[in-house]
Amino acid sequence: MRAVIKDSIGVFHPQGFLDGASSASLLSIEDIEQTVKSNASMILVSLKKVIFFNRNGLDTFVKMFQKVRIANHITVGFCDYDKKKYNAIKKFYNDDVNFSLFKTQKIASLFSASFKEKNQNILLFSDDKSQRAALAIELHDNGHNPIVAQTQKEFLQKAEVKDAYDIIIEDTFLGQMGQQVATRVTGNAIIYTLSSFLDAEIGNTFNIAYHNNSLNVGFRLFIFDVYKVVSMNIHALNFFSKLASSAAEYNATLCFIGMSFDKTPILFKETLEDSGMMFFNQMDDILQNKELLDELGASSAVSGKNKRAINKVLVTELPNFIDATVTTIEMMTNSKAVKDAAKVNKIEITDQSDKIASSIGFYGDIDGMIMLVFPLGIAKKACELLIGESTEDKELILDTLAELVNIVGGKVKTLLADEHISVNITLPRTYQDMNGLLEVAEGKKGVQVDLSFDNDKFLFFLTR
Amino acid sequence: MITTKQIDSYIAKIPPSPKVLKETLTLLNQGDLVKAAKTGKEDRALNAYLKELVNKPIYGFRNEVNDISQIFGILGVSKSQQTTYNYMISLLSPTKWKLFKLNKSSFYDLQAQLSANWHKITAHLNINDKDVQSAISLLPASIIVSEALFCEKLEDVKLLRSVDEIDLNTILQRLCKMDLFDICQRIAQRWEMPESTAAIIQASSGVKSSNDETINTLGKWMHLLLFYTLSQPTFIEAQLNDFIDFQIDYVSDIYDDFSQLMEIK
Repeated sequence: MRAVIKDSIGVFHPQGFLDGASSASLLSIEDIEQTVKSNASMILVSLKKVIFFNRNGLDTFVKMFQKVRIANHITVGFCDYDKKKYNAIKKFYNDDVNFSLFKTQKIASLFSASFKEKNQNILLFSDDKSQRAALAIELHDNGHNPIVAQTQKEFLQKAEVKDAYDIIIEDTFLGQMGQQVATRVTGNAIIYTLSSFLDAEIGNTFNIAYHNNSLNVGFRLFIFDVYKVVSMNIHALNFFSKLASSAAEYNATLCFIGMSFDKTPILFKETLEDSGMMFFNQMDDILQNKELLDELGASSAVSGKNKRAINKVLVTELPNFIDATVTTIEMMTNSKAVKDAAKVNKIEITDQSDKIASSIGFYGDIDGMIMLVFPLGIAKKACELLIGESTEDKELILDTLAELVNIVGGKVKTLLADEHISVNITLPRTYQDMNGLLEVAEGKKGVQVDLSFDNDKFLFFLTR
Repeated sequence: MITTKQIDSYIAKIPPSPKVLKETLTLLNQGDLVKAAKTGKEDRALNAYLKELVNKPIYGFRNEVNDISQIFGILGVSKSQQTTYNYMISLLSPTKWKLFKLNKSSFYDLQAQLSANWHKITAHLNINDKDVQSAISLLPASIIVSEALFCEKLEDVKLLRSVDEIDLNTILQRLCKMDLFDICQRIAQRWEMPESTAAIIQASSGVKSSNDETINTLGKWMHLLLFYTLSQPTFIEAQLNDFIDFQIDYVSDIYDDFSQLMEIK
């Protein structure tokens, strides 16, 4: 089957009934690869003319999607469906949807960078809070103006207003688009999810470079969600022991949540505990316990290793970094930025009150870290756009700020790629006051750029 | 461009040409199964075909059925007539398919599945009209004619398919100003089937609905049955699935009923 390619989106249009057997005959991996070669940045299967599908039918496509997504870093999924089909897909895959769902092709095109009609007014809603944020960010990143409804009720009310929006988005889901080893949660802990059998293979599947860079950036709590792990063998034991010992050098903590020792020798638990690994039965034992969370290092950071100075490569790339940051913040706050000063030194924050910060690391051809210090006012303004209304909830602001820094990171990655410098980015980290940030940045030399947004001062710090 | 004359010459090859066959059909039309079987016995190929067809799993007979009078007896008048039409069509099927990746066996399967399920549908709709039941045999017939027409312009067809994602039915229309369903209608005329039969076929295109409610309902069921059958791997690979454009909205009101009847889970 051939795809129709428009706006860099390759869409396949199967028709009739989809089950395991027919799907495999309709579409082959070669068909998809051919489409990718024609410069498609998104591969979708339209369900418009599909009257019946079952899980097996979709699975055949999903398996092929996985392959091309991992090999080409493109968005994959389904489009053109009604509510009934959307609910059926969500039900088939429970909470484990690792592809994207776009209600229409038009909606999908809004998420494609090559879409020509920018500046669309878009009303959007999803039951899932993180989906709402992800959708809004992506749309913003593509030059649109998203308005996020926080509740179904609000959504329906807003949607009733005729001609108020160019497009209304619902029943849409953004699946994994890039990094898939970790999930960030409030409290600056990184959660890795593992399943089935842990053996020597873990050394290949676990992204160690990513993990080390997360340590460098200042993450101090790493949680392994192992509810779905059946058993662990000696090779995996060695791997995790080493991981835990090396984390200890950074003062970081590694935890296993929900590990069952039915099929794993209980002796392994002792070995892991000796190397510093902690065990908990449930995720909430940690995440709902703020004191424990603080104690385990989720908000403190003493960076013992690698006080590396800024180097020439980073300085050469500086304009790119500043560009990415400034345009993103300008876009989000609807204001103009003016560059005040730039100097190479240790970070210097004159007025530390009422400021929050976030940081994101990058690694690959060049390594480094970007830190952004926001006055609470600017942060609130930026968040207003993503949340859809003003808020005083500091945790919510920090969360949104993390997403904002994520966008900056993504932009930097793209800009560097244009210069043939390939980097990956870590998850963003947030700091609710300057003490936490200074602990990480202490002693590090870097480039500091002071910026003014209207009357607010804003600080950009690039270091290694 | 293929002229109407050329098309007619293909369809002209579809007469109930052998005398025996013509007589068998006439007798079946009159409802005389015994005489029809007696006449039909003389055509050995017909006997062999009937045997092969009715012993396919979709007909669901426990024991092998051998004798033509036995077969006609089991099938009854309308199914016997439909099956004899299917045989006539099979006589025309090319020895080597060039565009559609079919062969003798998969083509028989297509006929058998469409026929058996169409019978199920007409029974479900309480329609006991042998002309309505025979209507389904027109679809495989027109697939043969289309194959022959496409083969005339095979290179053009392949070129058109490679530059643009257009369905074969549209190409057929561009090539000879007739689509699959128009061809069915021509064949129906040739076979002197009642006009209502051709109307059902046209309605089953999903784009030419009829004002007659019964015909329209039958058209919807046939459209859905066609896609139900063409969604099988053999026919997808044969390129029949994207021959015509599936009109999902046209059949949405009968889908639940259909899925229940076909036991789709």
